Amino acid sequence: MVHAAEHAIEETTTGLNHRKMLMWIFLGSDCMFFAALVATYMVYRGQSLNGPYPIDIISVPITTISTFVLLCSSFAMVQALAATNRDDQRGIRIWLLVTAILGATFIGFQIFEFNAFKNEGLTLGTNLFGATFFTLTGFHGAHVTIGIVWLLGMFVVAMKGRLGPASSLDVELLGLYWHFVDIVWIIIFTLLYLIAGFDAGPAALPGG
Amino acid sequence: MSSSHQPEQGHHPTFMQYVLVAAILFIITIIEFFAIFPNPDLIGAAKIPVLAILSAIKFAIVIMFYMHLKFDHRMFTMFFLAGLALAFIVGIAVLSMLTALDGSPRAFASANAVPYVESDHEVEHAEPTIVPVPTVPPPVTTPTEPVAPDAIATIVPEPSGGSGAAVSIEIGTEGDALKFSEAALSAASGSSVTVTFNNGSAVNQHNWVLVQDGTKDAVATDGTAAGPAAAWIKPGDERVVASSKLLNPGDSEAVTFTAPTAGTYQFVCTFPGHNFTMFGDFTIN
Repeated sequence: MVHAAEHAIEETTTGLNHRKMLMWIFLGSDCMFFAALVATYMVYRGQSLNGPYPIDIISVPITTISTFVLLCSSFAMVQALAATNRDDQRGIRIWLLVTAILGATFIGFQIFEFNAFKNEGLTLGTNLFGATFFTLTGFHGAHVTIGIVWLLGMFVVAMKGRLGPASSLDVELLGLYWHFVDIVWIIIFTLLYLIAGFDAGPAALPGG
Repeated sequence: MSSSHQPEQGHHPTFMQYVLVAAILFIITIIEFFAIFPNPDLIGAAKIPVLAILSAIKFAIVIMFYMHLKFDHRMFTMFFLAGLALAFIVGIAVLSMLTALDGSPRAFASANAVPYVESDHEVEHAEPTIVPVPTVPPPVTTPTEPVAPDAIATIVPEPSGGSGAAVSIEIGTEGDALKFSEAALSAASGSSVTVTFNNGSAVNQHNWVLVQDGTKDAVATDGTAAGPAAAWIKPGDERVVASSKLLNPGDSEAVTFTAPTAGTYQFVCTFPGHNFTMFGDFTIN
Protein backbone atom coordinates (compact mmCIF):
# COMPACT_ATOMS: atom_id res chain seq x y z
CA MET A 1 0.00 0.00 0.00
CA VAL A 2 2.72 2.40 0.96
CA HIS A 3 4.55 1.59 -2.21
CA ALA A 4 1.41 2.11 -4.25
CA ALA A 5 0.84 5.54 -2.71
CA GLU A 6 4.41 6.64 -3.42
CA HIS A 7 4.09 5.32 -6.92
CA ALA A 8 0.94 7.38 -7.51
CA ILE A 9 2.75 10.53 -6.43
CA GLU A 10 5.77 9.86 -8.61
CA GLU A 11 3.74 9.07 -11.71
CA THR A 12 3.46 12.13 -13.97
CA THR A 13 2.48 12.64 -17.59
CA THR A 14 6.09 13.12 -18.60
CA GLY A 15 7.43 10.44 -16.29
CA LEU A 16 9.66 13.10 -14.77
CA ASN A 17 9.51 14.40 -11.24
CA HIS A 18 7.65 17.69 -11.07
CA ARG A 19 9.79 19.19 -8.32
CA LYS A 20 12.96 18.52 -10.25
CA MET A 21 11.41 19.94 -13.40
CA LEU A 22 10.35 23.03 -11.46
CA MET A 23 13.92 23.49 -10.23
CA TRP A 24 15.36 23.23 -13.74
CA ILE A 25 12.81 25.69 -15.13
CA PHE A 26 13.60 28.07 -12.27
CA LEU A 27 17.33 27.77 -12.96
CA GLY A 28 16.70 28.37 -16.67
CA SER A 29 14.78 31.54 -15.86
CA ASP A 30 17.38 32.65 -13.32
CA CYS A 31 19.87 32.59 -16.20
CA MET A 32 17.85 35.40 -17.78
CA PHE A 33 17.90 37.37 -14.52
CA PHE A 34 21.68 37.25 -14.38
CA ALA A 35 22.00 37.81 -18.13
CA ALA A 36 20.21 41.15 -17.73
CA LEU A 37 22.58 42.21 -14.93
CA VAL A 38 25.68 40.97 -16.77
CA ALA A 39 24.61 42.76 -19.97
CA THR A 40 24.02 45.95 -17.99
CA TYR A 41 27.51 45.68 -16.55
CA MET A 42 28.92 45.27 -20.05
CA VAL A 43 26.92 48.24 -21.38
CA TYR A 44 28.35 50.54 -18.73
CA ARG A 45 31.83 49.04 -18.74
CA GLY A 46 34.34 51.86 -19.19
CA GLN A 47 31.64 54.54 -19.03
CA SER A 48 32.34 55.78 -15.50
CA LEU A 49 33.27 59.45 -15.48
CA ASN A 50 35.08 59.35 -12.16
CA GLY A 51 37.04 56.79 -10.17
CA PRO A 52 37.70 54.48 -8.54
CA TYR A 53 38.02 52.34 -11.65
CA PRO A 54 38.36 48.53 -11.61
CA ILE A 55 42.17 48.59 -11.86
CA ASP A 56 42.31 50.80 -8.75
CA ILE A 57 40.55 48.35 -6.45
CA ILE A 58 39.89 44.91 -7.98
CA SER A 59 42.15 42.24 -6.50
CA VAL A 60 42.23 39.29 -8.90
CA PRO A 61 44.39 37.04 -6.64
CA ILE A 62 42.06 37.36 -3.64
CA THR A 63 38.98 36.68 -5.73
CA THR A 64 40.70 33.71 -7.38
CA ILE A 65 41.04 32.21 -3.90
CA SER A 66 37.36 32.80 -3.14
CA THR A 67 36.54 31.24 -6.53
CA PHE A 68 38.47 28.13 -5.46
CA VAL A 69 36.50 28.09 -2.22
CA LEU A 70 33.23 28.09 -4.15
CA LEU A 71 34.49 25.34 -6.51
CA CYS A 72 35.43 23.25 -3.44
CA SER A 73 31.95 23.78 -2.01
CA SER A 74 30.44 22.34 -5.21
CA PHE A 75 32.64 19.27 -4.77
CA ALA A 76 31.47 18.96 -1.14
CA MET A 77 27.86 19.26 -2.31
CA VAL A 78 28.11 16.30 -4.70
CA GLN A 79 29.69 14.30 -1.87
CA ALA A 80 26.72 15.17 0.37
CA LEU A 81 24.36 13.82 -2.30
CA ALA A 82 26.47 10.69 -2.77
CA ALA A 83 26.47 10.10 1.01
CA THR A 84 22.68 10.53 1.03
CA ASN A 85 22.25 7.93 -1.70
CA ARG A 86 24.36 5.36 0.17
CA ASP A 87 22.71 6.23 3.54
CA ASP A 88 25.98 7.33 5.09
CA GLN A 89 24.58 9.43 7.95
CA ARG A 90 27.95 10.73 9.12
CA GLY A 91 28.95 11.59 5.54
CA ILE A 92 25.69 13.47 4.92
CA ARG A 93 26.23 15.68 7.99
CA ILE A 94 29.92 16.32 7.37
CA TRP A 95 29.58 17.16 3.68
CA LEU A 96 26.49 19.36 4.15
CA LEU A 97 28.28 21.27 6.89
CA VAL A 98 31.48 21.56 4.83
CA THR A 99 29.45 22.90 1.89
CA ALA A 100 27.74 25.49 4.12
CA ILE A 101 31.05 26.54 5.70
CA LEU A 102 32.75 26.93 2.32
CA GLY A 103 29.76 28.94 1.09
CA ALA A 104 29.95 31.15 4.18
CA THR A 105 33.69 31.57 3.58
CA PHE A 106 32.94 32.78 0.06
CA ILE A 107 30.43 35.29 1.47
CA GLY A 108 33.09 36.31 4.02
CA PHE A 109 35.46 37.09 1.14
CA GLN A 110 32.71 39.10 -0.53
CA ILE A 111 31.95 41.10 2.62
CA PHE A 112 35.68 41.77 3.02
CA GLU A 113 35.85 42.87 -0.62
CA PHE A 114 32.79 45.11 -0.42
CA ASN A 115 34.16 46.72 2.74
CA ALA A 116 37.56 47.28 1.17
CA PHE A 117 35.91 48.86 -1.87
CA LYS A 118 33.83 51.12 0.35
CA ASN A 119 36.97 52.25 2.16
CA GLU A 120 38.61 52.96 -1.21
CA GLY A 121 35.66 55.19 -2.06
CA LEU A 122 33.56 52.90 -4.25
CA THR A 123 29.92 52.53 -3.30
CA LEU A 124 26.74 51.74 -5.18
CA GLY A 125 26.32 55.43 -5.97
CA THR A 126 29.88 56.44 -6.80
CA ASN A 127 29.87 55.77 -10.52
CA LEU A 128 28.53 53.39 -13.16
CA PHE A 129 31.19 50.83 -12.27
CA GLY A 130 30.11 50.82 -8.61
CA ALA A 131 26.41 50.63 -9.47
CA THR A 132 26.72 47.74 -11.93
CA PHE A 133 29.42 45.88 -9.99
CA PHE A 134 27.63 45.89 -6.64
CA THR A 135 24.25 45.09 -8.18
CA LEU A 136 25.55 42.05 -10.05
CA THR A 137 27.86 40.62 -7.39
CA GLY A 138 25.40 41.57 -4.66
CA PHE A 139 22.58 39.59 -6.26
CA HIS A 140 24.94 36.64 -6.68
CA GLY A 141 25.93 36.95 -3.00
CA ALA A 142 22.23 36.96 -2.09
CA HIS A 143 21.80 33.70 -4.04
CA VAL A 144 24.74 32.17 -2.16
CA THR A 145 23.31 33.35 1.16
CA ILE A 146 19.93 31.75 0.40
CA GLY A 147 21.83 28.56 -0.49
CA ILE A 148 23.66 28.64 2.86
CA VAL A 149 20.37 28.99 4.74
CA TRP A 150 18.98 26.05 2.74
CA LEU A 151 22.13 24.01 3.46
CA LEU A 152 21.95 24.71 7.19
CA GLY A 153 18.25 23.77 7.21
CA MET A 154 19.13 20.51 5.45
CA PHE A 155 21.96 20.00 7.96
CA VAL A 156 19.46 20.28 10.85
CA VAL A 157 17.28 17.64 9.16
CA ALA A 158 20.39 15.46 8.71
CA MET A 159 21.28 15.82 12.40
CA LYS A 160 17.86 14.38 13.23
CA GLY A 161 18.77 11.41 11.06
CA ARG A 162 15.94 11.97 8.63
CA LEU A 163 18.02 12.03 5.44
CA GLY A 164 18.68 8.90 3.46
CA PRO A 165 18.16 7.37 0.04
CA ALA A 166 14.41 8.15 0.31
CA SER A 167 15.21 11.88 0.54
CA SER A 168 17.74 11.81 -2.26
CA LEU A 169 15.67 14.24 -4.32
CA ASP A 170 15.57 16.84 -1.51
CA VAL A 171 19.36 16.91 -1.38
CA GLU A 172 19.66 16.78 -5.16
CA LEU A 173 17.45 19.87 -5.63
CA LEU A 174 19.56 21.75 -3.09
CA GLY A 175 22.62 20.58 -5.00
CA LEU A 176 21.23 21.82 -8.33
CA TYR A 177 20.64 25.26 -6.85
CA TRP A 178 24.09 25.30 -5.27
CA HIS A 179 25.90 24.29 -8.45
CA PHE A 180 23.92 26.88 -10.39
CA VAL A 181 25.21 29.57 -8.05
CA ASP A 182 28.68 28.19 -8.78
CA ILE A 183 28.32 28.41 -12.57
CA VAL A 184 26.96 31.95 -12.32
CA TRP A 185 30.11 32.82 -10.40
CA ILE A 186 32.23 31.19 -13.12
CA ILE A 187 30.74 33.73 -15.55
CA ILE A 188 31.00 36.70 -13.17
CA PHE A 189 34.58 35.85 -12.21
CA THR A 190 35.67 35.61 -15.84
CA LEU A 191 33.91 38.77 -16.92
CA LEU A 192 34.23 41.17 -13.99
CA TYR A 193 37.62 40.07 -12.69
CA LEU A 194 39.69 38.32 -15.35
CA ILE A 195 38.53 40.42 -18.31
CA ALA A 196 37.30 43.74 -16.86
CA GLY A 197 39.30 43.76 -13.63
CA PHE A 198 42.14 45.72 -15.22
CA ASP A 199 40.00 48.43 -16.80
CA ALA A 200 41.35 51.91 -16.19
CA GLY A 201 39.53 55.22 -16.63
CA PRO A 202 37.10 56.01 -19.42
CA ALA A 203 38.15 56.37 -23.00
CA ALA A 204 37.66 59.96 -24.16
CA LEU A 205 34.16 60.08 -25.53
CA PRO A 206 33.54 61.95 -28.74
CA GLY A 207 32.05 65.30 -27.81
CA GLY A 208 30.99 64.44 -24.37
CA MET B 1 7.90 0.62 -14.32
CA SER B 2 8.97 3.65 -12.41
CA SER B 3 12.59 2.59 -12.71
CA SER B 4 12.43 3.03 -16.48
CA HIS B 5 11.43 6.66 -15.91
CA GLN B 6 14.21 7.33 -13.43
CA PRO B 7 17.35 7.02 -15.53
CA GLU B 8 19.23 9.27 -13.11
CA GLN B 9 19.12 6.67 -10.35
CA GLY B 10 22.33 4.72 -10.06
CA HIS B 11 24.09 6.62 -12.83
CA HIS B 12 25.82 9.24 -10.77
CA PRO B 13 29.58 9.48 -11.21
CA THR B 14 31.83 7.72 -8.74
CA PHE B 15 33.89 9.48 -6.09
CA MET B 16 37.03 9.33 -8.23
CA GLN B 17 35.17 10.79 -11.20
CA TYR B 18 34.04 13.68 -9.01
CA VAL B 19 37.62 14.21 -7.88
CA LEU B 20 38.72 14.23 -11.51
CA VAL B 21 36.02 16.78 -12.41
CA ALA B 22 37.06 18.99 -9.50
CA ALA B 23 40.71 18.72 -10.55
CA ILE B 24 39.88 19.75 -14.11
CA LEU B 25 37.89 22.76 -12.83
CA PHE B 26 40.83 23.74 -10.60
CA ILE B 27 43.37 23.43 -13.39
CA ILE B 28 41.27 25.52 -15.78
CA THR B 29 40.89 28.23 -13.13
CA ILE B 30 44.64 28.24 -12.52
CA ILE B 31 45.28 28.52 -16.26
CA GLU B 32 42.81 31.43 -16.46
CA PHE B 33 44.51 33.17 -13.55
CA PHE B 34 48.03 32.91 -14.96
CA ALA B 35 46.81 33.91 -18.42
CA ILE B 36 46.08 37.39 -17.10
CA PHE B 37 48.09 37.78 -13.90
CA PRO B 38 50.33 39.62 -13.25
CA ASN B 39 50.38 40.76 -16.88
CA PRO B 40 46.81 41.21 -18.17
CA ASP B 41 48.04 41.63 -21.74
CA LEU B 42 50.09 38.45 -21.76
CA ILE B 43 47.98 36.71 -24.39
CA GLY B 44 46.95 39.94 -26.09
CA ALA B 45 43.92 39.99 -28.36
CA ALA B 46 43.22 36.31 -27.67
CA LYS B 47 42.42 37.16 -24.04
CA ILE B 48 38.65 37.48 -24.30
CA PRO B 49 38.00 34.46 -26.59
CA VAL B 50 40.40 32.25 -24.61
CA LEU B 51 38.84 33.18 -21.26
CA ALA B 52 35.33 32.85 -22.68
CA ILE B 53 36.06 29.34 -24.01
CA LEU B 54 37.74 28.24 -20.77
CA SER B 55 34.86 29.45 -18.61
CA ALA B 56 32.33 27.90 -21.02
CA ILE B 57 34.16 24.56 -20.57
CA LYS B 58 33.93 24.95 -16.79
CA PHE B 59 30.26 25.86 -17.08
CA ALA B 60 29.57 22.77 -19.21
CA ILE B 61 31.50 20.43 -16.91
CA VAL B 62 29.56 21.60 -13.85
CA ILE B 63 26.12 21.23 -15.43
CA MET B 64 27.01 17.87 -17.04
CA PHE B 65 28.62 16.17 -14.03
CA TYR B 66 27.83 18.05 -10.81
CA MET B 67 24.28 18.74 -11.96
CA HIS B 68 24.02 15.30 -13.64
CA LEU B 69 22.56 16.57 -16.92
CA LYS B 70 24.79 14.11 -18.78
CA PHE B 71 23.08 11.23 -16.96
CA ASP B 72 19.62 12.71 -16.48
CA HIS B 73 16.57 12.88 -18.70
CA ARG B 74 17.10 15.01 -21.79
CA MET B 75 14.09 17.16 -21.00
CA PHE B 76 15.89 18.75 -18.03
CA THR B 77 18.73 19.71 -20.35
CA MET B 78 16.20 21.16 -22.78
CA PHE B 79 14.56 23.30 -20.12
CA PHE B 80 17.88 24.64 -18.92
CA LEU B 81 19.30 25.26 -22.38
CA ALA B 82 16.08 27.02 -23.39
CA GLY B 83 16.49 29.34 -20.42
CA LEU B 84 20.16 29.81 -21.28
CA ALA B 85 19.31 30.63 -24.90
CA LEU B 86 16.73 33.17 -23.78
CA ALA B 87 19.33 34.58 -21.39
CA PHE B 88 21.68 35.17 -24.33
CA ILE B 89 18.86 36.90 -26.21
CA VAL B 90 18.14 39.08 -23.17
CA GLY B 91 21.83 39.96 -22.99
CA ILE B 92 22.10 40.80 -26.67
CA ALA B 93 18.87 42.84 -26.52
CA VAL B 94 20.08 44.86 -23.54
CA LEU B 95 23.47 45.44 -25.13
CA SER B 96 21.96 46.46 -28.46
CA MET B 97 19.39 48.73 -26.91
CA LEU B 98 21.68 50.53 -24.49
CA THR B 99 24.75 50.85 -26.68
CA ALA B 100 22.71 51.93 -29.70
CA LEU B 101 24.69 49.31 -31.65
CA ASP B 102 27.81 51.46 -31.91
CA GLY B 103 29.14 51.16 -28.37
CA SER B 104 28.74 54.78 -27.44
CA PRO B 105 25.35 55.50 -25.89
CA ARG B 106 26.10 59.02 -24.74
CA ALA B 107 27.47 60.17 -28.07
CA PHE B 108 24.48 58.56 -29.79
CA ALA B 109 22.08 60.27 -27.36
CA SER B 110 23.78 63.62 -27.89
CA ALA B 111 23.56 63.34 -31.64
CA ASN B 112 19.97 62.11 -31.68
CA ALA B 113 18.39 63.92 -28.76
CA VAL B 114 14.87 65.14 -29.44
CA PRO B 115 14.28 68.33 -27.47
CA TYR B 116 11.71 68.04 -24.75
CA VAL B 117 9.01 70.66 -25.30
CA GLU B 118 7.21 71.75 -22.18
CA SER B 119 3.51 72.51 -22.29
CA ASP B 120 3.86 76.28 -21.89
CA HIS B 121 6.23 76.34 -24.84
CA GLU B 122 3.61 74.61 -26.93
CA VAL B 123 1.38 77.58 -26.18
CA GLU B 124 4.15 79.80 -27.43
CA HIS B 125 4.31 77.92 -30.74
CA ALA B 126 0.54 77.98 -31.13
CA GLU B 127 0.12 81.66 -30.30
CA PRO B 128 3.22 83.47 -31.43
CA THR B 129 1.81 86.84 -30.43
CA ILE B 130 1.75 85.93 -26.74
CA VAL B 131 5.23 86.27 -25.35
CA PRO B 132 5.61 84.18 -22.19
CA VAL B 133 7.12 86.08 -19.35
CA PRO B 134 10.32 84.53 -18.07
CA THR B 135 10.40 84.53 -14.34
CA VAL B 136 12.65 87.48 -13.72
CA PRO B 137 12.76 88.51 -10.10
CA PRO B 138 11.35 91.99 -9.64
CA PRO B 139 14.09 94.52 -8.97
CA VAL B 140 12.89 95.33 -5.51
CA THR B 141 16.09 96.86 -4.25
CA THR B 142 16.56 99.26 -7.11
CA PRO B 143 14.42 102.31 -7.56
CA THR B 144 13.78 101.66 -11.24
CA GLU B 145 10.22 101.31 -12.36
CA PRO B 146 8.70 97.82 -12.77
CA VAL B 147 9.88 96.07 -15.85
CA ALA B 148 7.27 95.57 -18.53
CA PRO B 149 7.11 92.02 -19.94
CA ASP B 150 8.17 93.02 -23.42
CA ALA B 151 11.13 94.95 -22.07
CA ILE B 152 12.76 91.92 -20.57
CA ALA B 153 15.14 91.37 -23.41
CA THR B 154 16.45 94.87 -23.13
CA ILE B 155 17.15 94.90 -19.42
CA VAL B 156 19.89 92.37 -19.77
CA PRO B 157 22.83 94.29 -21.15
CA GLU B 158 21.90 97.54 -19.45
CA PRO B 159 23.68 98.53 -16.30
CA SER B 160 21.13 99.85 -13.89
CA GLY B 161 23.39 101.55 -11.44
CA GLY B 162 26.47 102.28 -13.51
CA SER B 163 28.94 101.72 -10.73
CA GLY B 164 31.40 100.48 -13.34
CA ALA B 165 33.65 98.64 -10.90
CA ALA B 166 35.53 95.68 -12.39
CA VAL B 167 34.89 92.25 -10.87
CA SER B 168 36.98 89.19 -11.71
CA ILE B 169 35.60 85.72 -11.08
CA GLU B 170 37.22 82.33 -11.67
CA ILE B 171 35.19 79.17 -12.10
CA GLY B 172 36.14 75.65 -13.12
CA THR B 173 34.73 72.15 -13.08
CA GLU B 174 34.86 69.48 -10.42
CA GLY B 175 37.30 67.29 -12.31
CA ASP B 176 35.47 65.09 -14.80
CA ALA B 177 32.18 65.33 -12.92
CA LEU B 178 29.34 67.22 -14.57
CA LYS B 179 29.54 70.03 -12.07
CA PHE B 180 30.91 73.56 -11.79
CA SER B 181 33.44 74.19 -9.06
CA GLU B 182 31.19 76.93 -7.64
CA ALA B 183 27.50 76.62 -6.79
CA ALA B 184 26.93 80.35 -6.35
CA LEU B 185 28.51 83.53 -7.70
CA SER B 186 27.66 87.17 -7.16
CA ALA B 187 28.51 90.67 -8.39
CA ALA B 188 27.20 94.20 -8.05
CA SER B 189 24.75 95.45 -10.62
CA GLY B 190 26.37 97.60 -13.26
CA SER B 191 29.89 96.38 -12.59
CA SER B 192 32.07 95.03 -15.36
CA VAL B 193 32.28 91.31 -14.63
CA THR B 194 34.95 89.05 -16.10
CA VAL B 195 34.22 85.36 -15.57
CA THR B 196 37.15 83.12 -16.44
CA PHE B 197 35.86 79.62 -17.05
CA ASN B 198 38.44 76.83 -16.96
CA ASN B 199 37.18 73.53 -18.34
CA GLY B 200 39.08 71.23 -15.97
CA SER B 201 37.46 68.08 -17.33
CA ALA B 202 39.74 65.64 -19.12
CA VAL B 203 36.93 64.19 -21.19
CA ASN B 204 34.00 66.57 -21.59
CA GLN B 205 33.29 69.73 -23.52
CA HIS B 206 31.62 72.44 -21.46
CA ASN B 207 30.46 76.03 -21.72
CA TRP B 208 29.42 78.63 -19.19
CA VAL B 209 26.16 80.38 -19.92
CA LEU B 210 24.49 83.03 -17.74
CA VAL B 211 20.71 82.97 -18.13
CA GLN B 212 17.57 84.40 -16.57
CA ASP B 213 16.47 82.75 -13.32
CA GLY B 214 14.59 79.50 -13.84
CA THR B 215 15.38 79.23 -17.54
CA LYS B 216 18.51 77.04 -17.48
CA ASP B 217 16.71 73.86 -18.57
CA ALA B 218 14.66 75.63 -21.24
CA VAL B 219 17.79 77.32 -22.62
CA ALA B 220 19.64 74.00 -22.64
CA THR B 221 16.73 72.24 -24.34
CA ASP B 222 16.61 74.86 -27.08
CA GLY B 223 20.41 74.68 -27.25
CA THR B 224 20.23 70.93 -27.83
CA ALA B 225 17.87 71.58 -30.72
CA ALA B 226 20.24 74.22 -32.09
CA GLY B 227 22.96 71.57 -32.24
CA PRO B 228 26.73 71.49 -31.86
CA ALA B 229 27.30 73.93 -34.72
CA ALA B 230 25.63 76.62 -32.60
CA ALA B 231 27.71 75.52 -29.57
CA TRP B 232 24.51 74.19 -27.97
CA ILE B 233 22.96 77.66 -27.60
CA LYS B 234 20.00 78.81 -29.67
CA PRO B 235 21.21 81.78 -31.72
CA GLY B 236 19.68 85.00 -30.41
CA ASP B 237 18.26 83.37 -27.29
CA GLU B 238 16.87 86.30 -25.30
CA ARG B 239 17.22 84.49 -22.00
CA VAL B 240 20.99 84.31 -22.35
CA VAL B 241 22.81 87.16 -20.61
CA ALA B 242 26.36 86.09 -21.37
CA SER B 243 28.07 82.95 -22.60
CA SER B 244 31.45 81.41 -23.26
CA LYS B 245 32.36 79.37 -26.29
CA LEU B 246 32.07 75.60 -26.15
CA LEU B 247 35.39 74.76 -24.54
CA ASN B 248 37.31 71.59 -25.18
CA PRO B 249 38.75 69.69 -22.21
CA GLY B 250 41.47 71.77 -20.54
CA ASP B 251 40.64 75.03 -22.36
CA SER B 252 39.59 78.25 -20.70
CA GLU B 253 38.01 81.53 -21.73
CA ALA B 254 37.36 84.89 -20.09
CA VAL B 255 33.84 86.22 -20.59
CA THR B 256 33.31 89.91 -19.90
CA PHE B 257 29.90 91.46 -19.53
CA THR B 258 28.17 94.19 -17.60
CA ALA B 259 26.23 92.92 -14.62
CA PRO B 260 22.51 93.33 -15.38
CA THR B 261 19.70 94.48 -13.13
CA ALA B 262 19.81 93.22 -9.57
CA GLY B 263 18.20 89.85 -8.98
CA THR B 264 18.95 86.17 -9.24
CA TYR B 265 20.26 84.59 -12.44
CA GLN B 266 21.53 81.13 -13.24
CA PHE B 267 24.65 79.86 -14.90
CA VAL B 268 24.62 76.52 -16.67
CA CYS B 269 26.47 74.31 -19.12
CA THR B 270 24.17 73.81 -22.10
CA PHE B 271 25.94 70.72 -23.45
CA PRO B 272 23.08 68.20 -23.82
CA GLY B 273 22.33 66.56 -20.50
CA HIS B 274 24.78 68.60 -18.45
CA ASN B 275 22.21 71.19 -17.36
CA PHE B 276 20.68 68.81 -14.82
CA THR B 277 23.76 68.80 -12.62
CA MET B 278 26.00 71.54 -13.95
CA PHE B 279 24.54 74.87 -12.91
CA GLY B 280 24.53 77.47 -10.13
CA ASP B 281 23.02 80.73 -9.02
CA PHE B 282 24.45 84.11 -9.98
CA THR B 283 23.22 86.86 -7.66
CA ILE B 284 23.37 90.42 -8.85
CA ASN B 285 23.27 92.76 -5.87
